[in-house]
Amino acid sequence: MSILTVASVTKTFADVRAVDDLSFAVEPGEIYGFLGGNGAGKTTTLRMVLDIIRPTSGAITVLGGSPDRDNAAGIGFLPEERGLYGNMSAIDTIVYFGRLKGMEAGAARSAGLELLDRFGLADRAKSNISDMSKGMAQKVQLAASLVNRPRLLLLDEPFSGLDPVNQGLLEEEILRASRDGAAVVFSTHVMQHAERLCDRLLLLRKGQKRFEGTLDEARDLLPSRIDAVAKDTIEKVPGLAKAKRGKALGDGWHEYTLTVPPEGDAGAVLEHCTANSVPLRQFAEQRASLHEVFVQLVGDEGVER
Amino acid sequence: MNNILLVARREFRQIVQMKSFWVTLLLIPIALALGPIVADSLDEDEATKVMLVDRSGGAIAATIEERFALEEDRTALARLARYVRRHGLERADPDAPWTQYDRWYTEADIASFREAGGIEGALERIDAAKEEDTPEFEPGEPNYQFVEAPDALATAEGEALEAAVEDVIDPDEGDEEASYVVLVDENYEQRPVVRLWSNDTPRTSFVTTLQDVLTTDLRGRLLTADGLSPERAAAVQAAQPAIAVTTPKPGDGAREALLVRSIVPLALAYILMMSLMLSGSWMLQSSVEERSNKLLESLLACVRAEELMWGKLIGTVAVGLSMILVWAIFAGIAGFAFSGAVADFLRPALEPVSDPLIILAILYFFVMGYVAVSIIFLAIGSMSDTMNEAQGFLMPVLFAILLPVTFVIQAILAGNSGPMVQALTWIPLWTPFTVLARLGTGIETWEVLGSGALLAGFVVLEFVYLGRLFRASLLATGQKPGLKVLAARLKGS
Repeated sequence: MSILTVASVTKTFADVRAVDDLSFAVEPGEIYGFLGGNGAGKTTTLRMVLDIIRPTSGAITVLGGSPDRDNAAGIGFLPEERGLYGNMSAIDTIVYFGRLKGMEAGAARSAGLELLDRFGLADRAKSNISDMSKGMAQKVQLAASLVNRPRLLLLDEPFSGLDPVNQGLLEEEILRASRDGAAVVFSTHVMQHAERLCDRLLLLRKGQKRFEGTLDEARDLLPSRIDAVAKDTIEKVPGLAKAKRGKALGDGWHEYTLTVPPEGDAGAVLEHCTANSVPLRQFAEQRASLHEVFVQLVGDEGVER
Repeated sequence: MNNILLVARREFRQIVQMKSFWVTLLLIPIALALGPIVADSLDEDEATKVMLVDRSGGAIAATIEERFALEEDRTALARLARYVRRHGLERADPDAPWTQYDRWYTEADIASFREAGGIEGALERIDAAKEEDTPEFEPGEPNYQFVEAPDALATAEGEALEAAVEDVIDPDEGDEEASYVVLVDENYEQRPVVRLWSNDTPRTSFVTTLQDVLTTDLRGRLLTADGLSPERAAAVQAAQPAIAVTTPKPGDGAREALLVRSIVPLALAYILMMSLMLSGSWMLQSSVEERSNKLLESLLACVRAEELMWGKLIGTVAVGLSMILVWAIFAGIAGFAFSGAVADFLRPALEPVSDPLIILAILYFFVMGYVAVSIIFLAIGSMSDTMNEAQGFLMPVLFAILLPVTFVIQAILAGNSGPMVQALTWIPLWTPFTVLARLGTGIETWEVLGSGALLAGFVVLEFVYLGRLFRASLLATGQKPGLKVLAARLKGS
């Protein structure tokens, strides 16, 4: 059973349609990427899942029920805009959020101490947040979202503002949560993280779904490219949309850029070449990157590789 | 409910951890305790020094001094009588003038008082009769003290005299020797003119008494010059009607009783106002911190906006009530330490608030007042990203609350419960303060019930409308709402 199901959800603010007829589902153990530029509707969708705001139409099912704070015990959430109470200690902060999620104080404390230990902050458990560096405070906030061992982990632009060390730590925690069976949904506009982590992706543009599927399926949306060194007989190989001849290398050899249509297969092209003795010195498939797919489908505004 | 209490507890702990909380908590009782001491030290309780220079032989000066001594004794006698009456000590000496309150004390009364040993003699008898916890009598300072004149003043004339007087009442260096100099000329009998120098406008009591002494002397001499025997002339001069005086028992006078009965209710209204302003501004600070620290989204993922609002309100009310509890404990300790005097004062002061129904009314209006105003602070906090922004909203609200409340307190202190006070009773924002303040002067039951019901309705409306504003404003960071946006948020659209 899906941990999260969003069915035909629309959200409008005054005359702005922030989310438009959006549907998707996330399964246990799955890492689900929510990709879109600024204003694509990612944060709005996450807020609706958390019941911070209500959809204008459509239905959302979270952990088998309607969005409600009663689900808080099974949800971990790291917002895009992060902050903590400056005059609270790290462990008190984690315990506070743990208790708001229905945990007993003792259980929240031991889980919090374990997380701080894992994040290298065991000796700072009693330090006030205001006495910590920004990086440390970010780890504390991550711990506060993980303290209840959530079944659904929602991360809104989790990598923004993190230093490389903390980015690595966060990636590890996302993978750990997934291994433990949690569904992880994270929004991002950094393609690298999505390519590295996501089992499935959802591309949003102005509140509308432009694509949902695996990374391979996303890449398959665009023609792939083959960098080859061959003789002119390659231009006649079936399955190519285009063969662009490049620099002459002597003895009839040339550099080629071959284009395979989205429905084509670079492997079939190579197989044909081998079976028909088409001379080849180099054959390297260059599949479309997620960034290229994203730019093609969503546009390149506010996107990082 | 659990989340509400968690939020309330965190709010309470955050405020209690502030240094300003502790400073305020301790400073107010200290300031209240030091107040009377400072006021006492500022009081002009030293006797005014008077220098008498009698060049006519000394008889006039002696008469003046004798008369002022008489007046001092009259004042002391009246003060002692008030003390005896307040503490019911008439049994100490039922015939003494200080147990008679029905007349203005005559010279005969004062003579009898002196004969019986004056203050010391009276206190010996009172001490033997009074209870252990009856406070001691505190004699007042005399109003005037006569000091020796320097030799220079005895003979100097013209500019030398002026200079000598100047040295006495306004010296270039050091303290003045006297505030007043009175000069009786050597030919006073032929030309009855007395000169008075003063370093400030002379007190009316001094001039009238001086004039009375000199007038009596002058008339006496005129009467004897007309052939009356000195004894007859003195008898004519001494003849005066008796003045029967009726005064309320100390604390029973209309004005005094009103003040005493209003002390606790007025203090309650004042404390409500003060603790509200303090805890409200602390709550505002923490709300602004939650917004500026981008905490709200994390919180709202775990608690409903309503739970957050209730939690904050309960936390703030708890802070306010704790402050009041601590102040009450301080007051209790002070009362215990000064049991006699304080108990004597507190008994009539607590009388109007000792009825269980009145106590219930106090609790109701106190808590409802707290909620009614705190929720406004909360709504302001939900709209403000910085304290500066919050101040912009807060100042008009503070003025709207404080000015009428100050007016109500002043009006009730002045014994005025006119139409303005009546009207403010029925305007919910000021109802808690006004009803609390009026409990001492007497407020009709129907007014308490009616205004209480209206206040409850107002608080419900506040929860509906300001609750909408709170919810709608929580996540709208970085937007400065105009009137149109505010109206839309209030409407919940």
